[in-house]
Amino acid sequence: MSKAMGDDAFETIVADHHAEIHRYIARVTARASEADDLSQETFLRAYRAYRALAPGANVRAWLFAIATNLCKNHFRAEGRRRRAHATVKLAGPRIEHDGPDGEAVFAEASARIDGIVTTLPLRQRLAFTMRKIHDLDYGAIGQSLGCSPDSARAHVFQALKKIRRGLDALAIPHTEPER
Amino acid sequence: MSPIHPACRKIETDLVAVAAGEAAAAEAHRVQAHVAVCASCRGDLSRYRAVEVMLGDLRESPSPAGDVTLARAELESRLADLRRRLLVFGVFASPLGPILLARSEEGVSLVQYLDRAGAASRLAALPGIEAVEDLRETEPLYRDLLDYLRGRRTRLDWPLDLRLARSDFQRRVLEVTAGLPYGAVASYAGLARQIGAPSATRAVAQALRWNPVPIAIPCHRVIGSSGDLTGYAGNKVALKHRLLALEGVHVLATRGTHRVDRRTMYARQWGDAEYCLPSCGSLSRRSLAELELFASRERAESTGLAPCTSCRPDLHPLPA
Repeated sequence: MSKAMGDDAFETIVADHHAEIHRYIARVTARASEADDLSQETFLRAYRAYRALAPGANVRAWLFAIATNLCKNHFRAEGRRRRAHATVKLAGPRIEHDGPDGEAVFAEASARIDGIVTTLPLRQRLAFTMRKIHDLDYGAIGQSLGCSPDSARAHVFQALKKIRRGLDALAIPHTEPER
Repeated sequence: MSPIHPACRKIETDLVAVAAGEAAAAEAHRVQAHVAVCASCRGDLSRYRAVEVMLGDLRESPSPAGDVTLARAELESRLADLRRRLLVFGVFASPLGPILLARSEEGVSLVQYLDRAGAASRLAALPGIEAVEDLRETEPLYRDLLDYLRGRRTRLDWPLDLRLARSDFQRRVLEVTAGLPYGAVASYAGLARQIGAPSATRAVAQALRWNPVPIAIPCHRVIGSSGDLTGYAGNKVALKHRLLALEGVHVLATRGTHRVDRRTMYARQWGDAEYCLPSCGSLSRRSLAELELFASRERAESTGLAPCTSCRPDLHPLPA
């Protein structure tokens, strides 16, 4: 009888999306241990709820919405625990860029973006990560955040403006408009 | 630093859109016209483009959390645990009233008559169980049940999961009860003897009162030694009457009591390979505890019993 429980379908969902959801949460929370816990919780919730999911629903966007909600709750609780949360550095592989100076600066800037992202207000950070790292559309992002696609886009743009300003302190190699 | 020109402030969002490749034609034109005359915004645009390039790089880079193999393995084990605890259920408007059907990955684990739709189910109070509504998964069970109640099938061939049984004793009672065939009745005292606890008649009745899967395990086929139906699922003796009548068992209902008329049923002594007329030998004087009764010859014979060679129920059948 076990096979009739739709478990095969859910195993596929886990196989297809776990790594990405984990990565999303890791970037948003800036902590690998939180990503382990919250991605687990995302899929446990999804398992309880996916029976009620409409056939043909966008499973990926739905998982992002669950994960986003958990991240929001997580930071709300975190915020209660300590007013200002200190950013803890990720313990994870860093890519070392050796090479010409331009590339080193570029790599530093790339790492710097991560740093700036962790200082963004939560909604901007979530919207930015969903859009720029995971390439979700504004409709899906809006649904995750409980706002319109236009506000979702505004959050992403706000984040981009702050990142650009944050990087201005570095000498970023410009890419000249092609002409 | 010189104050930012209002036109430059206004154009910034368009610069972001153009760099991100999301600009509409009008925005793109505005940007083109502006940066042609504004060196500062031209610089900003190229910096936004640089950010996009770096983001592309970031997108391709491995997860900041590193390897997820361990996290995945832990998730799988927690999912397996959840799967074991999970019961899916559905509530249906059956001919017997609102009924809840629930199953685990092992089998059907709860059949519950609800007094009204939306009544609290036993599921809510069970430790170590998670219940999730799933009509898609439980509807096939309901269709089987309807077929059964319409007489289109005589058994529910469901794999059962007796995890809601309260004790090993109850599990033993339920297992013996599951063996009672369609169209047959036995007594609580008879069942107590079957499980080797002849003095446990009341405990047997209690065990069946809390049968987690009525109908699937036919506790409605177990009655008092006097022939009285006694009780069913609390206070639903009328349902017991209905279920027995469906199987062809004659039940007399008078002034609130429901009893099986022994004289209208074939009988056999537990353990015998033959079934008899109710008047055969000393049968009519025996306690129901010693007997299993059958509504018809077909029912008796379909369980492998042969007609008694002295009373010959095959030659002198009871009036239908």
